[in-house]
Amino acid sequence: MRDWRALVEERLAGLALEPEERTEVIAEVAAHLEDTCDEMLRQGMTEEEAVRRALSQAGNWKDLRRKILTEKRREQIMEKRIRQLWIPGFLTLILSMLFLTVLYRLGLRARLVWSGPNAILLYTPWLAGLPLIGALGAYVSARAGGSRGTVLLASVFPALALTFAFLFMFPFSLTIELIAGKPVDFSSVATVLLKDGIGWLVVPGAALLAGGLLARVLVSTRASSRNTATS
Amino acid sequence: MIAPGIKRGTAELAVLSVLEDGPLHGYEMARRIEEQTHGSLRFTLASLYPLLYRLEKRGWVRGAWETSGTGRRRRCYRLTPQGKKKLSPIRKEWDELFRALRRLTKVSHA
Repeated sequence: MRDWRALVEERLAGLALEPEERTEVIAEVAAHLEDTCDEMLRQGMTEEEAVRRALSQAGNWKDLRRKILTEKRREQIMEKRIRQLWIPGFLTLILSMLFLTVLYRLGLRARLVWSGPNAILLYTPWLAGLPLIGALGAYVSARAGGSRGTVLLASVFPALALTFAFLFMFPFSLTIELIAGKPVDFSSVATVLLKDGIGWLVVPGAALLAGGLLARVLVSTRASSRNTATS
Repeated sequence: MIAPGIKRGTAELAVLSVLEDGPLHGYEMARRIEEQTHGSLRFTLASLYPLLYRLEKRGWVRGAWETSGTGRRRRCYRLTPQGKKKLSPIRKEWDELFRALRRLTKVSHA
């Protein structure tokens, strides 16, 4: 009796699935080929010919392996993205917003960095804490196996979320004012947008990124020293 | 024979339709589709199993290992209530498409 599982296993070598799932797929495909071969034997073919025909009728094995992997891993890819980006990203966003609220309640206000018409309002106590929050987001992402890009994205997530909010908010409020018939001075709007963009997006983003970069360096240094110790 | 691009779109409908009559394992499914379409629709392993896994993930079909009368273990698929619900709008869509194409080809031949 032919070992169909071994034949399929050989052809689907490199099917990177969990062992149990892989065994199931191989068993299912092997059963299909066994039934195909039986049918051909019933039609009067020799066993050798039937096996050869069944294997060739299977189609392209590389294509089969790739398609099975895509279908089976689709969910795993989504899960990974959630653990490596969305959870740490939202963690940094929530923590940074909570931190801002606490500082505000404590009576700490934003300060002007310099006087004059181009003064930019910076919330310095908040900015001082942001590297720590960015580092935490980066650490959680790195622990979940995030790539360098994902780790840094997770650390600057609050700045990205605020950028989206700004981009949506300004055209929206401008449209409302135009509909309400209020005169809109586009040059002053652009100045406000630029100043707020620097004070609330660029500088906080840089602070978060600094923390993220530091955490990333620390995590990779620890990992490489652990690898050296075990080898 | 129908071109592969068109077949790809009809595969979901074909699988769900044959499962409407009762549970089947992969080989039986492929055979029944081939017989009922007089050989116009033929599934290879690479076109059948990835599709079954996709439909299973969507919750439209459910696969379970069963032992057949000959003592062989086969993974049988059955239509879930969700799959049954999906079948009728898919049928309707394809029906509309075929009718539209028929009208179009009649017009262009006239």
